[in-house]
Amino acid sequence: MKKLILSLLSILVVFAASAQLDRSQRPEPGPAPVIQLGEFESFELENGLKVIVVENRQVPVVSFQLTLDIDPVMEGDATGYVSMAGSLLREGTTNRSKQEIDEAIDFIGGSLSTFSTGMFASSLTRHKESLLDLMSDVLLNPSFPESELERLVNQNISGLATTRNDASAMAANLSRALAYGPDHPYGEITTEESLENITREQIVQYYENHFKPNVAYLVIVGDIDVAEAREVANRFFGQWQPGEVPSRSFPTPTAPEGNRVAFANRAGAVQSVVMVTHPLVLTPGHPDAIKVSVMNSILGAGGFSGRLLQNLREDKGYTYGAYSNISTDRLVSRFMARTEVRNEVTDSTVTEILNEMRRMVHEPVDERSLQLIQNFLTGNFARSLESPRTMANFALNIERYGLPEDYYATYLEKLNAVTIEDVQEMAAKYLKPENAIIVVAGNRDEVAETLIPFSATGEVEFFDPFARPVEDIALRPAPQGYTAETVIEKYIEAIGGRENLENMQDMKTDMTASAMGMQFQMTNYQKAPHYSLQKMKMGEMVMQQVLFDGEKVVIASQMGRQEFTEGEEFEQMKMQSVMNMELKYKEFGFEKQLLGIESIDGQDAFKVEVVSPGGVKSYDYYALETGFKIKSISTESQSTYSEYKNVDGFFLPHKVVTEAGPQLIQMTINSVEINTGIDTEVFTIN
Amino acid sequence: MKYKLNLFIALLLLLLVGAASASERRIEFTEFTLDNGLHVILHEDNTTPNIVVNIMYHVGAKNEYRDRTGFAHFFEHLMFEGSENIGRGEFSEIVEMSGGSLNAYTSFDVTNYFVMLPSNQLELGLWLESERLLHPVIDSIGIATQKDVVTEEMKQTRDNQPYGRILTETIKRAFTVHPYQSDILGKDEHIRNATPDDIRSFHDMYYVPDNAVLVITGDIDIDETKELVSLYFGDIPSGSLPIRRPDVVEPPRTQEFRDTVFDKIQLPALIQAYHIPAQGTEDYYAVQMLGTLLSQGQSSRLYRRLVVEEQSALVVQAMPLGLEDPGLNLVLSIANMGVDLPTIEASINAELDRVRNELITEEEFQKLRNQIESRMVNNNTTIASRAMSLANYHTIYGDASLINTEIERYMAVTREDIKAAAQNYMREDNRVVLFYLPEAQ
Repeated sequence: MKKLILSLLSILVVFAASAQLDRSQRPEPGPAPVIQLGEFESFELENGLKVIVVENRQVPVVSFQLTLDIDPVMEGDATGYVSMAGSLLREGTTNRSKQEIDEAIDFIGGSLSTFSTGMFASSLTRHKESLLDLMSDVLLNPSFPESELERLVNQNISGLATTRNDASAMAANLSRALAYGPDHPYGEITTEESLENITREQIVQYYENHFKPNVAYLVIVGDIDVAEAREVANRFFGQWQPGEVPSRSFPTPTAPEGNRVAFANRAGAVQSVVMVTHPLVLTPGHPDAIKVSVMNSILGAGGFSGRLLQNLREDKGYTYGAYSNISTDRLVSRFMARTEVRNEVTDSTVTEILNEMRRMVHEPVDERSLQLIQNFLTGNFARSLESPRTMANFALNIERYGLPEDYYATYLEKLNAVTIEDVQEMAAKYLKPENAIIVVAGNRDEVAETLIPFSATGEVEFFDPFARPVEDIALRPAPQGYTAETVIEKYIEAIGGRENLENMQDMKTDMTASAMGMQFQMTNYQKAPHYSLQKMKMGEMVMQQVLFDGEKVVIASQMGRQEFTEGEEFEQMKMQSVMNMELKYKEFGFEKQLLGIESIDGQDAFKVEVVSPGGVKSYDYYALETGFKIKSISTESQSTYSEYKNVDGFFLPHKVVTEAGPQLIQMTINSVEINTGIDTEVFTIN
Repeated sequence: MKYKLNLFIALLLLLLVGAASASERRIEFTEFTLDNGLHVILHEDNTTPNIVVNIMYHVGAKNEYRDRTGFAHFFEHLMFEGSENIGRGEFSEIVEMSGGSLNAYTSFDVTNYFVMLPSNQLELGLWLESERLLHPVIDSIGIATQKDVVTEEMKQTRDNQPYGRILTETIKRAFTVHPYQSDILGKDEHIRNATPDDIRSFHDMYYVPDNAVLVITGDIDIDETKELVSLYFGDIPSGSLPIRRPDVVEPPRTQEFRDTVFDKIQLPALIQAYHIPAQGTEDYYAVQMLGTLLSQGQSSRLYRRLVVEEQSALVVQAMPLGLEDPGLNLVLSIANMGVDLPTIEASINAELDRVRNELITEEEFQKLRNQIESRMVNNNTTIASRAMSLANYHTIYGDASLINTEIERYMAVTREDIKAAAQNYMREDNRVVLFYLPEAQ
């Protein structure tokens, strides 16, 4: 009954309401509200530190941001040290250990982060004395502990390892390296090698050269007034000593002659990360800057209305997102369009991005699109003012870049004065659809070739995840005169020589293996002509033993015991139990053929196809330079061999990584004993 | 709708939605319910001339059928397609032409839409939201396009992303009967199979005023807004179908479950997932503080031990996933190069033993309280975050005033409660453990 009354009521409501509401009419806006900028104060300390204060009492929080206004540094073979200097800054002072700093900042529930160009600290107002005490200690008395540096380097190396599977990170490296080039600090990419080259001296030097109050701004925002801000700035940063800071300049990078295509492979990727980029010069506050932001927003930054998103997502369903960006910078900045799309539409996506760039250059935008973006940017500007940090950033930019005092006060006027002609003029001046770098990180096998038509040279350039050029992994012909025999003979020579190897009677190898996140101990016994035994232990427990004694294969584990005297596994074990099989290919009737040269992890290697008497095919790779076998691929597994070391005149790989199905087994040799006279008795399993 | 988030941020966002806050300054609001059941919350703040129109529907991934996973999120995309009075593709254009900005998100429990506008466009915001609640129009082109878009979203944010499948693989094993076993994006083929009928019946059941809360924050006049809300939403009929909500209860776990997953990654990761009580329960706050103790800040217990001292981990994070039904406390760690997972697991377990066996010190307890207070004060500083928090507190807890008072619940947690939470929930037999390993390349 109650329900009936309720639904009767709702019918009445429907009736009453619809009488006055015409839903087909979009409501008209009221009079536009006035958008008001906040206020800031600024002053300078005696040591030259410029302080900007934005008071805001909405929440009982205060923050202190220190920004250094310095030129970037070329880091060369120690790329990463500048950023490392920033991280290491908070890892110890002459008064506090890292642990004490961590505890102090966490105890007040605050935050303290340090960078190569400054630091940021924030806490509830009532903790600000403790916060500033810590911040000024970190700023003025860093100790740059060697042990913490080592930790951060190792941490960063591990972090970089994840880049090898991260197409976004690869594409970001590649687009930055190619847009700015190797002669500009913005184009330098951190690698494992460059991290290992970092020294504490470089970091101390960087700090001593650049952390000076006369090139710094301190921005104080929040629950504090200017008088108190002045007092704390003096008390905590007044004793900071000024000094000369070096300035540097660099050649300005230029866009390529014609479009370049750069590719980084992520095996098995189902999507491509596509970036189109090129350098440009647009300084903060430049008369073009606002017009360019309007132009770029129409192309690819205006919320859902950007042309790239409308085209690639809402029209074609290629992607989840597609955006473009043009930043400003005192030295050099760049254009960048970015999206992620499924493999098969990668080339169509590049076509569409370039076409949208060309359309901006060649066609005037319609009035409605321009109006939409002006309104959208006006709204964004108004919304950004909700955060007091926005006002603080405006103040900092005015001081730092020497902008007119009313630059932001008149921003909306300038924004709304941008014309259709301005937009096209900016596109013609700043977009370079014929001189761009097209970066794709993704599935080489499915995508790379489709990109050839976009390259002015007809070439796709290949790079590793850290933007270092690599040869395409396609096979190249071996030079004249080389055959499978000569390659194998060179290998035999490299690992100890034929005579030496023929005298090898037995070998015992102790290894540590890790697989599935666990560690095992393995011991291999081999004895001529055909004995082998493999013992696998986990801790003290024997997990599995595999034996071949010339007549049978025995596999024993906790699951039970199996024996074979024929079949595939038997044949395989029989071959594997022969030491240095390469010496005896002819004797056993193996067929082999030199296929060409391939690049394996940056090393050129001969690729040899080997077919066993039973018809099992495998491929072995021998390094051109050293002669060593570095990789072997069969249908069910592939192994890479590295760290060859001399053991009694024999060169043996001390690291073997085998991949079988989804499993990855890593083996490291701990010790090898050769010709110690292993007893045949060893080759039994009870 | 277009958030691009990596796993950790996505998880953190979930937490933010759950753990939102209060501050020393009270957030004033008015609330009422229309005759059709639509609950309305208004909060006035005239600091800047902006408003937020936020509508939260009490439907999320957990309401889905098992053969239609990902549907709630897919439907969220379709809500941008248009209505009887708004053509396809016009919805976002109208907002942006009016100086606004818009987006939406779907969680396990709710779907939330927001439009941010200049304050002279309040009526427009109400018209837009009421249109797509009353009579959305979703044509076959829109459905086909959004199926493609969502498929790409799955790849970009989950399947083609290193560690992107961690949450998916964990919940799949942690929940045996509860629908939390499927992630929010769902299965590709389920989305592909969605029919226009599915879409219509989903709207009819869940997108009704009595299953929603409308929150308006910012530069508004309360009385005028009340009238306008009645005008635009009052004529929308209540739902006529009983709302389907999962009533299945995940049985208590009695035995540890361990498994291995392979993915395209370089460094192995370890995931422990412990079952925890629902958001808002007393124990939930103790579990939250336990998470803070373990991994917030560089002095936290797990971070200090694994990242700083032993240097065995690149990342370690304890993340209680606060959900409407009982959720999970995830302890995630990525190993440093050359470190195996049993080493990391032993260290994590040792730290969990410690918190189970020893009461935390007074000083550490004070640190936790300070950290929580600071987090709560820093939340809800914008009209958008306040709108979402108010909507969430109303929908999940049935009490929007928690935006001001939830902090008291944290402050009521004692040292003993934290120890008890560790003993009760962070137990070996109450967890799923995943070894997340690099697959061969």
